[in-house]
Amino acid sequence: MGRWEEKMNFNNRDTHSRVSGLTLDEALNLAKTNGEQVVPTLCAMCGPTSLSCGVYAFVKNDRFIKVAGMQESSNNKGAVCPKGNAAPQWVYSPDRLKYPMKRVGKKGEGKFKRISWDEAVGIIADTLKRQKEKYGPESLAILAPAMRSYNAYLKRFLTVHGSPNYGHSGICALQRAFSFMYTLADWPIAEIDKSDLVIYWGRQPVFSGPALDGPKALLRLKERGGKIIAIKPSVEPDVCKADIWVPIRPGTDAALALAMLYVVINEELIDKEFVENWCFGYEQLKKHIQKYPPQWAEKITGVSAKQICEVARLYSSTQRASIDLGNGVEHAPSANDAIRAVAILIAITGHLDRPGGNVFRSTDSIMPMPRDITLRERYTPEMRDKLVGPEFPKEFQPFIEGFSSAYYRIFDSILTEDPYPVRTVIAPGTQPVVSTRGSRRIIEALQKLDFYVVIDVTRTADMDYADIVIPTTTPYESDHPFEATGGRVMVRNKVIEPLGDYKSIYQFFLDLGVKMGYGKDFWNGSIEKAMDDQLQPFGMNFADLKNNPTGIIYDSLTRAYENYEKMFQRKSPRLSGAPFLPHGKIEIYNTSFEEAGFNPLPEWREPPESLTGTPDLSEKYPLILSDYHTSKNYTASWERNVPYLREIEPYPVIHIHPDTAAEREIKENDWVIVESLHGWMKVKAKLYPGIRPDTVMILHGWWQGCKEMGLEDFPLLDGGANVNMMYSVDPKKAFDPIITAMTSQTLVEVRKFS
Amino acid sequence: MSEKCSILFIQKKCIQCHGCEVACKSWRNVEIGVNWRRVNISWHGGYPDIKMVPVMVACLHCAKPACVAACPTGAIEKRAADGVVLVNQEKCIGCKVCLEACPYSVPQFGADGKMQKCDRCFQETDGRCSVPPCVATCPTKALQLVSQDKNVYLSFTYCDQSLEK
Repeated sequence: MGRWEEKMNFNNRDTHSRVSGLTLDEALNLAKTNGEQVVPTLCAMCGPTSLSCGVYAFVKNDRFIKVAGMQESSNNKGAVCPKGNAAPQWVYSPDRLKYPMKRVGKKGEGKFKRISWDEAVGIIADTLKRQKEKYGPESLAILAPAMRSYNAYLKRFLTVHGSPNYGHSGICALQRAFSFMYTLADWPIAEIDKSDLVIYWGRQPVFSGPALDGPKALLRLKERGGKIIAIKPSVEPDVCKADIWVPIRPGTDAALALAMLYVVINEELIDKEFVENWCFGYEQLKKHIQKYPPQWAEKITGVSAKQICEVARLYSSTQRASIDLGNGVEHAPSANDAIRAVAILIAITGHLDRPGGNVFRSTDSIMPMPRDITLRERYTPEMRDKLVGPEFPKEFQPFIEGFSSAYYRIFDSILTEDPYPVRTVIAPGTQPVVSTRGSRRIIEALQKLDFYVVIDVTRTADMDYADIVIPTTTPYESDHPFEATGGRVMVRNKVIEPLGDYKSIYQFFLDLGVKMGYGKDFWNGSIEKAMDDQLQPFGMNFADLKNNPTGIIYDSLTRAYENYEKMFQRKSPRLSGAPFLPHGKIEIYNTSFEEAGFNPLPEWREPPESLTGTPDLSEKYPLILSDYHTSKNYTASWERNVPYLREIEPYPVIHIHPDTAAEREIKENDWVIVESLHGWMKVKAKLYPGIRPDTVMILHGWWQGCKEMGLEDFPLLDGGANVNMMYSVDPKKAFDPIITAMTSQTLVEVRKFS
Repeated sequence: MSEKCSILFIQKKCIQCHGCEVACKSWRNVEIGVNWRRVNISWHGGYPDIKMVPVMVACLHCAKPACVAACPTGAIEKRAADGVVLVNQEKCIGCKVCLEACPYSVPQFGADGKMQKCDRCFQETDGRCSVPPCVATCPTKALQLVSQDKNVYLSFTYCDQSLEK
C-alpha cells in the first residue's frame, strides 16, 4: 500500500468545501506512484444501471484491486458507497460462474456439465424455435431484473420473437408510476432543494443510492432548517434526521393517506382555485372520504389520530412542501389506492408542480436521449391479448416500460396453465425463489417448467433448476455499453480481461438473436453497431464516446412550473394513445378505472393477514412481519458472498422491539423461529428499540453463503431466512387488483430457537 | 513544513452508509474480521420518541494515548512529527493490554495476533497530509481531514456539536 499522491495534499484548510473522490489527473498520478493502472468506468454493484456512479478502478498486475470515486461524475461527485468499494471481492468471488453449463442431473440436484458458449446459445435457440412453432412465441417469458442497463435488450428480444411476456416484478417503481400517471398524468418528484417540509413516506433515501444525491439532499434540507417527516415502521438513518417520525404499521399506507385526505377536505385546507380549475370529481371524493376519519385510521395504521391530523395540517399549511413516496407503499393490496390518495393529496393542497412541491418530471439537461431499441413500434393488439399474467390490466397495456406480465404470475401460469403455461423462462440477473413472493410455488413451478435459463455473474439461488446456465462478464470485464442519464453520457470501460469463458449479457442476446435467425434485428451480432445505433441522437459513434474517459456532461435546463395545460393532455402509452386524463383534469374520480371495472375512488383494503383484518389469526400470530427492501450493504438478494459487505451484516436478523423480545425471553443475537401461516424462518434476533413493538422486520433476499467467511447457504424455504415464503400469495387477497403490488406483510409469532 | 492533520467525524452529517469502513478495508487490504474503522449506532430515548445516532469507532490518535502508556513493550508510539499513533509490529507481543486501556476499544487483532489499527494512511513523516480513502469516499463529508489546530481531541461522538455552525 503506497501513500496517497502529493497532488492530494491537504493544503487547503477549507475542508468543508472539498469534494469527495479523485479527479482523473489525481487518479492517474496516484496509480503511477503505486505502480498501478487506472481505468475510469462506472460502478456495477447496484447492477449496471444508467444511474451508476463514476469510479476510478485501479489495477495492479492485471488484477482489479480497488476503486476511488470519480469527482467529475455528475451523480456521485466522487463518493462511493460500501458496495462500490467492495467491487473487487465481488469480481473475484469463488461464487463466480466461469463457463456455460448444461444440467445433467435432476432439476434441483445441481449437477451440471461444462459446455461451450456456442453450444449453450445453440441449445437455447433450438428450444425456442421448437416451442415457438408448437406453442406460439408467447410461450417464452423473460424476467426483468431491477432497473438494469440491459433491460432494453430483453424487451427487444421478446418483441422480435413475438412475445409480450416481459416479467416485471409488480412491486417496484412502475406501481407508483402507474397510479400517479393515471391520476396526475405524471409521476411528480419532490423538489427537495426548494421544500420547507419533506415527507419521506415508505422511502429509504439513504440506502437507495448512498453516494447519489438523495442523502445529500436530505442533509441540505436539514442544514437549512427544513422540516422532515418520516413515515415508516422502523427507525432507519433517515428517521434520525427527521423532526417527526410516523411509525406506521406495514401495509396500511392507504388508510393513512385516506385519513389525511379526510382532514384536509373537512378542514378545507385545500387550494380551492386549483381544485376548481384542474380537478375532476372533487365533490364525489368529499362525500366518499367521510368513511375514513383519523380515528378510523388510528385503529388500522397504529398511528394516533392526533399525529395524523398534525401531519396533514402541517403538510397542507406549508406552502413549499413535498412528498417523496417510496417503494414501501408498493407492497400491499391497497397500493394503488394509497398512491393515488397521495397523488390527490398533493394536488388538492396546491403542491403540484409548484416550487418546493412535487414537480413534473421534465428534461433536466440538453442531453439527447439514446435511441429506444425496444421496438415498441411493432407492438400489436394480438400481442397484448397474449399477456400471460398482465402486471396492469390489458386495457392499460402497454405502460411506460412496454408490455409486462407480473413476474410471479408467469410462474403461476406454469402451475395453473391459466390462460396457458409458459414453456421457457429466462432469468437474467434475477432469482425468482428469493426475488418474488410465494417461493414455495416458484419452486413447484421451476420443477414443472419445460426449460429454464439462468444468466448471471455468480451462482444464483435457483440455478440448480436451470437447464442451461449462461455466465456473463461483470461490467468490469467488458467495454460496453454506454450509460446516459442525468445529463451525463459515458462508456463503461473494461477494467480487466474476462476471468472465464463468457461474454457480456448484451452480447448474449445479440448472439441468441443471430442464432434464432433474427440477425437483422440484432445488428448481426455486432455490439459496436448496437452502440452506434443507440448513440445516433448524440451525433457521435461509440468510438467517439470512448475518447471521453470520464464521459460528457451536458448543460442543465431550468424548469418552469404550473405546466398543467400541457401535462394534463399527455398521451398514455396504450396502443390507442388515449390521454392519461380523459377530462384534461386530475382524475380524483377515475373514470378510466371505473370503465375497466374498478373503483373510481380510493378505498381501503386490508392485507390478507393483519391485526385489524384477521383478528382471529392474531391470537396465534400476534406480530406483524414485513421486510426491508433496501439495505446499506447488499443489492437486493445479491452480494452476501462479498466478505467486506457480509462483515457489516453477517447474519439475517429480525428487528424486534426489546419489550416484545423480553415477553418471549429472547435476547440479543439469539436464534429465533419466525412463523407465519405460510412458513417459518430461523434467524437471529436484533433487539431494536426503534421499531413498532407490534411489528418485526427483516431484510429480504437471504440465501447465499460467503465461502471466505465460512458461512453456508441458507435453505430456500422453511428453516432458512427467505422472507418471501412467509407471505400469502392468495390471488384474491394478496394482490392489488389493478397494479399487482403483492403483499409483503403478514402475521407471525417469534420464539426462541432451541 | 510540518502540518498535523486529523480525521474528524461530523456526526450529524453521517448517513450510516459504511462507505468509509469498506474503503479503508479495500485500500489497505485489511483482513476479514478486522476493522480499523467502524460505524456503530447508539439509541437515545425510547419508542416512539427515539433517535438512532451513528458512532464512529476508529483510532483518534489521542494527545495522551492510553494505549501508548499501557503497552508493556513500548510498541506503540505517538510520532512527534505528525501526531500519528503507530504500532511497531516487531515489538508488539499481542498481549491486548492496549485494548483494555483504550476507552473506545479501538485496537484490533488479526490472524497474526498483533495489534493493528488506523494509521491515518500516513506513511511519511515529512508533514505531507494526503486525503485518506475513508475521507475521500464519504458521500456527505461526515469524515473530514482537518488541521489539528482547529480541533482534534474532542470525543468523536459529539465533536460536531462544537464544530458545526
